[in-house]
Amino acid sequence: MLKTETITINMGPQHPSTHGVFRMVLTLNGETIVDLKPMFGYLHRGLEKTSESRTYLQAVPFTDRLDYICSMSNNFAYAVAVEKLAGIEVPLRAEYIRVIMAELTRLVNHMLAVGFLFNDLGAWYTPVVYAFRERERILDLFEMASGSRMMCNYIRPGGVAADLPAEFLPQLRKMIPHLENFVREIRFYLSDNEIFKARAVGVGFLPADMAVAYSITGPVLRASGVKYDVRKAEPYSIYDQFDFDVPTQVAGDVYARYLQRLDEMDESLKILRQAVERIPEGEYATKVPSRLRPPKGEAYARIEAPKGELGFYLVSDGSPNPYRWRNRPPSLINLSALREMCLGHKVADVVTILGSIDITLADVDR
Amino acid sequence: MYGKGIVKGLWVTLKHIWGTYAKDIKRFPRRYAPGGIAKRTDYDLYGLFTLQYPEERYEMFPRFRGALMHLRNPETGEPNCTACGACERACPHGVISLEGEGKGKDRKVTAYRYDLGRCIFCRLCVESCNFNAIELSREYELSRYKKDFILELDDLLKIGDKYGIHKTGEAWGVTE
Amino acid sequence: MQVLDDLWIRIAVWFRGLLESFLPPWAVQLTMDVLGILLLIVLGIVVVLAFTYMERKVIARVGDRIGPNRAGPFGIFQAIADAIKMLTKEDVTPTNADRWLFLAAPIVVIIPAVLLYAVLPLGRGMVGVDLNIAVVFVVAMGGIPILTMLMAGWASNNKYALLGAFRTVAQLISYEVPMVVALLTVVLLAGTMSTVGIVEAQASFPFALVTPVAFVVYMLAGLAELNRTPFDLLEADSEIVAGYFIEYSGMKFAMFFLAEYINLFMVAGMITTLFLAGWQWPILPSWLWFLIKVVLVIFLMMWIRATFPRFRIDQMLGFAWKALVPLSLINLFLVALVAKVLEPGWVRTGVLFVSNLALLAGAIAIMAQVARKREERARAAGEAAIKRYYGSEVR
Repeated sequence: MLKTETITINMGPQHPSTHGVFRMVLTLNGETIVDLKPMFGYLHRGLEKTSESRTYLQAVPFTDRLDYICSMSNNFAYAVAVEKLAGIEVPLRAEYIRVIMAELTRLVNHMLAVGFLFNDLGAWYTPVVYAFRERERILDLFEMASGSRMMCNYIRPGGVAADLPAEFLPQLRKMIPHLENFVREIRFYLSDNEIFKARAVGVGFLPADMAVAYSITGPVLRASGVKYDVRKAEPYSIYDQFDFDVPTQVAGDVYARYLQRLDEMDESLKILRQAVERIPEGEYATKVPSRLRPPKGEAYARIEAPKGELGFYLVSDGSPNPYRWRNRPPSLINLSALREMCLGHKVADVVTILGSIDITLADVDR
Repeated sequence: MYGKGIVKGLWVTLKHIWGTYAKDIKRFPRRYAPGGIAKRTDYDLYGLFTLQYPEERYEMFPRFRGALMHLRNPETGEPNCTACGACERACPHGVISLEGEGKGKDRKVTAYRYDLGRCIFCRLCVESCNFNAIELSREYELSRYKKDFILELDDLLKIGDKYGIHKTGEAWGVTE
Repeated sequence: MQVLDDLWIRIAVWFRGLLESFLPPWAVQLTMDVLGILLLIVLGIVVVLAFTYMERKVIARVGDRIGPNRAGPFGIFQAIADAIKMLTKEDVTPTNADRWLFLAAPIVVIIPAVLLYAVLPLGRGMVGVDLNIAVVFVVAMGGIPILTMLMAGWASNNKYALLGAFRTVAQLISYEVPMVVALLTVVLLAGTMSTVGIVEAQASFPFALVTPVAFVVYMLAGLAELNRTPFDLLEADSEIVAGYFIEYSGMKFAMFFLAEYINLFMVAGMITTLFLAGWQWPILPSWLWFLIKVVLVIFLMMWIRATFPRFRIDQMLGFAWKALVPLSLINLFLVALVAKVLEPGWVRTGVLFVSNLALLAGAIAIMAQVARKREERARAAGEAAIKRYYGSEVR
């Protein structure tokens, strides 16, 4: 009888495909995963505590740095929370601008998620470069509106930082058909690929009931077949005025998550088309004092960020600084099911599964 | 048909190879964009996308948030800053520290220290300024060989002189 | 044309004549041999420089980029700049490495790679040695890198390197089998084991047309032997970082790199020789034809690398043992049967071609069936979970 020994491998914190400084302690039997222990906190910057000593407005640039890929959605969630806390009304044009930015952010994020998934699968060069190309075009729009590509600091409590520049909407109108082409091309290029299917179908299966038990949200949950989207379940902003579907998949594996992201990109483009058509003229923000003093109380607001449900919980004690500033990062909570998804698979699958969950380490560690 | 995905994938990448060469041929004798300023968006799936950075660059958008600069009063040539300290209070990172002298209307800035190394370019300082004194420039090549990231008032004014503007927020549509 | 065709041979003959005018015969022979060896080694290094440049360009172009364009006109000196960088880098040997094995591995890896060039017919009459068992020599030499990769992986004393070495042994040994069987098919058709003989046997039809199955199998096995996408899991960058050579730096790493590209040319050259009629085909000089075909094969490999993700180790071994080995074995029997029954000519080629295509279609159908089953299983599992969550029906 042959005796085998397990080996322990520290995957990370320096590893090309852990999407940052994430560490997984793998126990391997040959190449099969026997145990996996995720470890994180290498990128902890204490953003929550830091924000408690800043004013409500000063914390907006910090939210950019939570999930640096979708800074606009982070701004959005935080702004919604502050508005709920202080009872601020937002003008309609600002709501439209916010929706446009949030959906563009979703496109950016899903592009990168698909691209990096293929990076992890070993198609290093091409899908991710295509994704980056289109992302750069969207980031150009962000830069045009907010002055910065990634750290936008654009959506503020009360509205947005400034009105859209004149050339923004025409540019966006031209861009939407192009992005639709891009999604079509990615589908054509990758969806049927037999090698990808061999790697992805049935890998990292997350059953629907387990996903709910782990409070997984976002594309990962919907890929498992649970039709839950904050935009529909608890409409915030003006999402109830748009006509869009919540796509779901059945299989709940890596391949389903990939398809789910592409479907969501289509839905985002649908929303964008409507928003661009209907955006009204008007004020872009209500005046909010820079040292905002919300009344005593607490508020929790959540939005459907690209990675899942992003929530902010704020407690005010009537001073200009929040008493408690807490956020619910989708990446961290989606990551909690990693072990369940990985057990019994091979080393190569760990990377794939991690890529399919789509985390940002800055969002995990905060 | 099994294997269709493989063929489709190869077809897509082949089209991309061809696309880049087609664009290369189109602009054959010229290697870089004319004048070193590259055009931004040309919504095309195919063709070269990369920018040959030092030889050509993008023109920054008017709203681009780069390093801080100080603006002058067009008539007197003095800095607009009155050392009110609003920017210092607005900054989330404590990047700005300043000193001033005089009271009321005569108050003038005497020292202004801006720590470029810690600045996150959020523009909250500019938004808080009521005197058209500071604005973010479009400077983005900010790396240094030494750690001398602290810019004094003179350096900031020098950047401001390059742009020759006297009002804050023109690009943002919020001039007061 | 004839002049161009014989260009290199004429030069050699002229040079030999030059030497004979003042040297004794044994010295002439010695000089010519040493020069030949040197030429092949230089060819190896030139090939590395050229193909690293080409690879970067192809992959860049696929990704809508320009690729190297700074070092020299169109960046053609990029590979040389890389070589200089490699040579001047710090050479680190890990403290706990098995020192001698660690140092020996990069040297041992390059020897078989260069030795293989000896039997590659680069043009009409242009071959290092016309061995009558050249094919066996290729297989034997192709086995040595496995040992060196295991040496490197074990000696590095690194877990990723060890995993890479495990994978190497599993993968390369598995893919030797279909490769050898595909080679055998060709040997059977050509009736000789000499590479020159095999090329000459393809005067009327290249073997890629005669037995497409063997061609496809050899191509895939060649990709696996070269550790290229989709079979690059020995060095899978996103999984085990770099596999067996993770701890190597500087020139020692460059040796592995050199060996990889020398092997690339070699495998492409073997594919050309065995299946694409080597230097045959009219009009252009023979050596140019050979070069064109090799470059095309290498372009195909780079194109594949730029396009596809990689397999997983178990899928890959499964693919070798469950798909390629049976396929190539059936093909071997088929070819043996047909070659025995029919005389060489149009009829035999046609019969073989059609039957091979049928074989290929059958194999693809079976693989499609397996893939469909997998998809159905995954879907069923998902549906069951959704049912568990939502109660009775799937929404």
